[in-house]
Amino acid sequence: MPTIVPRDDLYVLNHCARSLARDNTDARHDYGQYAAGDTRARIAEAWRFPIVDSYFDGRSYDDSYAFNTVTFVYAIEDDRAHDVAVIGTFADLVTPIPLRPVADSVYRSVSVAVPKGQVHRYRFLVDGRSVLDPINPQRTTNPDGTEWSRFFTQFCTQIVSFERWEIALLTRLTDHILPFRTVQAQRFLNLYLNGLDRASKDLQYARAYRFDQPIGVVNFIDKIVAREESHRLIDYKICLELIDRVLRRRNPFEEPAHMPAAMYADLYDQMADENVPEWDRSRYGSPRFFLQLLRRHTYTGAFSHPKYGGNAGAAGWAYLSYNLKDPLTGALPDPAAQSTAFDWSRALEKPLGRNPEYHG
Amino acid sequence: MPQPTQFDVIIIGSGAGGAPIAHTLVNAGKSVLMIDKGPLLRPQDDDPLGLSDYKRDELMSDGPEKRLTIPGLANTGASFYTSHVEPDLNDEPHIYRKDGSGDLATIEGYTCQCVGGGTQHYGGVSLRFSATDLRLRSFNQGRTDVRNDPDGVVAREARDWPISYDDLEPYYSKAEKLVGINGTRENQAKRASEDNYQTPLPPNPISEYARVGMVALGMKPYRTPQAVITQDHAPSGRTVGRLGQLPWDGGPKTAYVNRYGDPLDFKSNTWVSLLRPISRKPNFALWPNCNVTHLESTGARVTTVSVRDPSGRPRSVAGKVVVVACSAIESVRLLMLSAERSADFSGRIHQNDLLGKYFLTHCFGGASAVMPGRFDKSLTVDSDWATDFCGSEEFIRANGLWAGATIYNNTSDQALPIALARTHGAADLDTLWHGFNNDFSVVGDRFAGFLNNEFNRRLSVSFMANQVPQKTNRIELHPTVRDKWGRRVAYIIKNWHPHDQFLMDTIAARCRDVLAFGGDNGGGHYPVEGFGGVYLSENALARIANHILGGARFGADEADSVLDKNCRAWHFDNLYVADGAFMPTSGSGNPTLTIQANAFRVGDALLQSGLI
Repeated sequence: MPTIVPRDDLYVLNHCARSLARDNTDARHDYGQYAAGDTRARIAEAWRFPIVDSYFDGRSYDDSYAFNTVTFVYAIEDDRAHDVAVIGTFADLVTPIPLRPVADSVYRSVSVAVPKGQVHRYRFLVDGRSVLDPINPQRTTNPDGTEWSRFFTQFCTQIVSFERWEIALLTRLTDHILPFRTVQAQRFLNLYLNGLDRASKDLQYARAYRFDQPIGVVNFIDKIVAREESHRLIDYKICLELIDRVLRRRNPFEEPAHMPAAMYADLYDQMADENVPEWDRSRYGSPRFFLQLLRRHTYTGAFSHPKYGGNAGAAGWAYLSYNLKDPLTGALPDPAAQSTAFDWSRALEKPLGRNPEYHG
Repeated sequence: MPQPTQFDVIIIGSGAGGAPIAHTLVNAGKSVLMIDKGPLLRPQDDDPLGLSDYKRDELMSDGPEKRLTIPGLANTGASFYTSHVEPDLNDEPHIYRKDGSGDLATIEGYTCQCVGGGTQHYGGVSLRFSATDLRLRSFNQGRTDVRNDPDGVVAREARDWPISYDDLEPYYSKAEKLVGINGTRENQAKRASEDNYQTPLPPNPISEYARVGMVALGMKPYRTPQAVITQDHAPSGRTVGRLGQLPWDGGPKTAYVNRYGDPLDFKSNTWVSLLRPISRKPNFALWPNCNVTHLESTGARVTTVSVRDPSGRPRSVAGKVVVVACSAIESVRLLMLSAERSADFSGRIHQNDLLGKYFLTHCFGGASAVMPGRFDKSLTVDSDWATDFCGSEEFIRANGLWAGATIYNNTSDQALPIALARTHGAADLDTLWHGFNNDFSVVGDRFAGFLNNEFNRRLSVSFMANQVPQKTNRIELHPTVRDKWGRRVAYIIKNWHPHDQFLMDTIAARCRDVLAFGGDNGGGHYPVEGFGGVYLSENALARIANHILGGARFGADEADSVLDKNCRAWHFDNLYVADGAFMPTSGSGNPTLTIQANAFRVGDALLQSGLI
């Protein structure tokens, strides 16, 4: 069974009041991600549930870094007493883990330790009856046809939103945008990623690297459209299909993922100009709009905290540290120097960074 | 949560206005209940597991995309990005109207719904206002040299505060001591009876350009006072120890300070400096995650505070005194919502037509340039150098202005990579993603070039100045839009006066000069590509302001003010407003230290009031 983490009532209430406490029952938080009538559309930032946060085992922050604390919350909607428990793949799937009452509130909660980099499904048992999490927007259908609620932990590189061909296409598109195509940048990133120690590789980019993505950006997009911006998954699904079709029409003899970079550059420029002759505007009105979305996600994925699934091994930050020239001398920073143009690791938690106090 | 009971004082809001009063009264033995809408997010040292609720994580501050679903607004359907402590715009928007813009849902910069309020995320710049700031009516009487004021609005609408700088000065000293401010006193124009500053940290090297520019222009620079604890701080018990003394260890200099809650509590927000020290006392109760919906009164006494608890269930609680300190707009709104429910409450709070009127922000803006060198701006606090040059009465008169300004440099702007792109091409710091998303040519090599040209090379110099008070700039309740509790939301109507625009142009040019002279070692020819006032920017539509003040101004004459000299609402015996709403003019500096100083003053007044 997973370790139960002693998160206090205040911790739970801090997350609940803003999202869950309300009188209004409008679908105010539906940006297209819910079907009509879905009560989760009432909840602000429903994606925050279950709460995936840092973990401490009471002994070592370094050892604890391999885990997240995952906090499940269930809100009782009437005044009667209820037994609420959770079952899921993060435990043995059959033993219910009870949610405890949060003092003087309608909320029940339990926090468990779950390894980073994992995807899990779960259901609640309310008075023995199995129900989906009424808050969490993430759901998944099992091969047996049953529907489950889903969550993933930080540094997750298991693909949850896209098909293999979509990943390949996104890899090419993001590669066109990112600044890592130069020979110098490629050489740097290869050296940097190969230089990471074994534990960092396992934790931070094992699978992302195998996908041959530019520093995990596609993995980041896969995660953000599964959670925080699930309303944008449909943009990707439609536009990747349209892009695939456009490219195949231009060259019927080659897989789009293997087409030359110039094909992507041309398409990119045409999308920016809203001028893609083969684009089916009845399905998606503005290719330029999709490009804006892709640019934001690409940039964010390259330079945000690696726990979100991009910036693999902090390679994006390392690029900023060692690949920007001194404008006065034209020189690159000394790779051995502690002081660089961007000493990101000084502020961040170990083992990712080297801050002596901050635990992440 | 304790059962409803009688407290000496109930304080609504735990930021710069509420916390000093709680600190004063609890230490005087009074029973105090503090209620905050937001969570009590704990820095690492306060968490039972040693894990901070604040993270060094850009995506926590620069939140994911959401879309505005409130129907019928000019920006319905627009994308917005809020931090983890900003209100969700679909649940609790402010509606802003500017001439020609229609109604826009928005929120002010640095809005933080959490214990500590805006002091959790602010950069911590803690300037005093000048003596002139508090007497702008007297100063402008009989002047004929105020430019761009064809209708004489300045002479008509400028107000003196009912207290002088000398009255406020001891409380500035007290706030600087108890909050924990670092800075230097030399070269400041503002008189101080005590020097309670902690020692500032060594400046970021990029700030040297700003210092050189200021010196070349005869602007005496001083180290910007900031609410960051740099030494052991006896009043709060926050010890720094060795950490932060060496350039390579994990001290307070990180870019995750301005716009971030501080996981290591170096930032002396009101939780760290004022509330945590009293939090274990038996006469202090704190209810986070509780939303006050309205006040009820009997005659001249507010008797009941109605609250929604963290589950959304209604509660009520009573106090001998009620202090409203939810930040200016929300405080005015709470009073208006309470007045809607009771004719008697309404008659008292609307004893004249001034509640909500004379809403103020700051004339602000500045200049920004790519500097000759590259420096690691992640080793920074928010600001290094400031100057009072543009605040002297001599300068104000010579330039045909009605009031002065403080200039200071920002080092933390765009110091982290996502912030750089998010604010790329924007005339200010809040126009999110627009520039980068639309700069389609920034791909591949040009992306590398963008980073080479911009990252850790930009320096901005900002100013903060008084806005001309206008009665038509006001806070109302919106006729149709309601929050998640079904209450009407705040409706802000605000426009700039022509003199505001003149003032912003004038001072922004001085900020440009600082960079032009600083960038080439005093020559004055360094290229500065961007400068101006906030009225020019896209942000003027996207956000109302960072600093929200006025709307319940205090004064000596009950016909001309909402609050008396001690910030008590006229015609109420026990209702006080203690955030920035009390200000009749908005001052020539960031307002937090003045809100704190005034709140310490109100705390003393409450002890002497005979009410508790």
